[in-house]
Amino acid sequence: MGGAVALTEAGQEFVRRGRTRLALQPTTLDIAPGEFVAVVGPSGCGKSTLLDLVAGHATPATGTVTVDGTPVTGPGPDRMLVFQEHALFPWLSVQENVEFGLRAAGVPEASRRSVASEWIGRVGLADAARLHPHELSGGMRQRAALARAFALKPRVLLMDEPFSALDAPSRDRLHVELQELWRETGTTLIFVTHNVREAVTLGDRVIVMSSGPGRVIADVPIQLARPRVVESRQVVDLAQHVRGLLDAADQMGITTPREGRDGYVSI
Amino acid sequence: MLVAGLALVVLWWLASLVAPTLPDPAATFAELGSMIADGRAWSLLWRTTVFMAVCFAVAVMLGVSAGLLLGARGSLDRALSPYLAALQGMPTSMWIPVAAIVLGTEIWSLAAVVSLGAVPAIMLATRTAVKGVPPLLVRAGRTLGESGFSLIRRVVLPAAAPGILTGVELGWSIAFRCLVAGEIFSGALSGTGIGDVISRSRETGDLTEMMATILIVLAFTVLADRLAFARAHARLRESRGLVDAGLPH
Repeated sequence: MGGAVALTEAGQEFVRRGRTRLALQPTTLDIAPGEFVAVVGPSGCGKSTLLDLVAGHATPATGTVTVDGTPVTGPGPDRMLVFQEHALFPWLSVQENVEFGLRAAGVPEASRRSVASEWIGRVGLADAARLHPHELSGGMRQRAALARAFALKPRVLLMDEPFSALDAPSRDRLHVELQELWRETGTTLIFVTHNVREAVTLGDRVIVMSSGPGRVIADVPIQLARPRVVESRQVVDLAQHVRGLLDAADQMGITTPREGRDGYVSI
Repeated sequence: MLVAGLALVVLWWLASLVAPTLPDPAATFAELGSMIADGRAWSLLWRTTVFMAVCFAVAVMLGVSAGLLLGARGSLDRALSPYLAALQGMPTSMWIPVAAIVLGTEIWSLAAVVSLGAVPAIMLATRTAVKGVPPLLVRAGRTLGESGFSLIRRVVLPAAAPGILTGVELGWSIAFRCLVAGEIFSGALSGTGIGDVISRSRETGDLTEMMATILIVLAFTVLADRLAFARAHARLRESRGLVDAGLPH
């Protein structure tokens, strides 16, 4: 079951060459247990910072971040982070990669093996369990990374543009599979992307962020039936709406040229 | 490999025609045969193996742990690096007379030089390799619940392994040079027997036994390379996908 994530006036700043830059304005955000939240915004909007705060890879400069009421003090296996690049250990096979976190958690060898095999099977890599990451395609690597994260039964799964480096067909399939895995496990999922349609396809809710300084500009509920696909009419319409919010918040006053009703943008 | 070896023997034979003091291959191989027959060759090989194995194991442990420390602590690295680089550049065999006087002309003094001689190379290679570990892998390791020593053992060390191995190989050749330099300095130092051969050749002026011993040492280094380093390299490269196995992508 998923965990409840709460950010209370959580902000982050970085000091570079003596100058303080606000990466994330103090932000308050409540995420219900088991919710699928997509976070979308241009580069530098603080969306990865937000993930880092929940993951415990960074401490907020102001405010607090809690999971199930407990303040986040560091990385922990209850909050799994899946990266844009697969981040699999190249010297380990798929099986060993998935077992890695289980071993760190002190799971005995026999159950480690069976849990890992189960998840490898669920992401469709049963035949590839003995292969090393370099022997897999991009989509297979990201599947292995998913299995590695899900195997630890995280209460919160954090995904940082996990599919942005994949080819479109792999991405479309993984969208559907991720929605299934999320439904089956009931984990809370925070999915960061710069792709508006992807956000609308996946999220129960789309948090729209803008840059300079990074801040939340909108919180759009998505109440379409699942599983959704990026091509669906309703997804495209809602993406159009979200895209409009992003354009309106752009201080430069530049609207990205779009053809017809296309809300599919990469910033 | 066999053809190349034969060609080298022919070259050696030609050289022995030009330089009469250089024993020809036939005499050397005869001497080698008698050394094998009466057990001298095995004793030499065995004692060298034990001495080098012990000294080198110490060197690898010291070098890798010091390298990890330097890699993790930037301030320490900045403070010590120039001196370590100087140590690595300096021929380590210069320490032999110092060690012989401080520690006495015993096996320990040469063992200390051979062990410590290899340390800077291993240490610096380890430091560089550790600094080159992709931060993403370390973050992944942390996310998956590892920290502290266990994170180093399960993520940092394997990720840095190819670089560390290069340092270990370099350290090995340095250690071996130290050993022979020590033997030339004083024959009884290491107890491997190479020094005794050197001093006998020095007295008699007959190089046949010396050449046979060189062959034994060569065989030893070839074995060490084939059995240890080449295999370790192949394994590391294969599992990381650095060998093109013709797989479809």
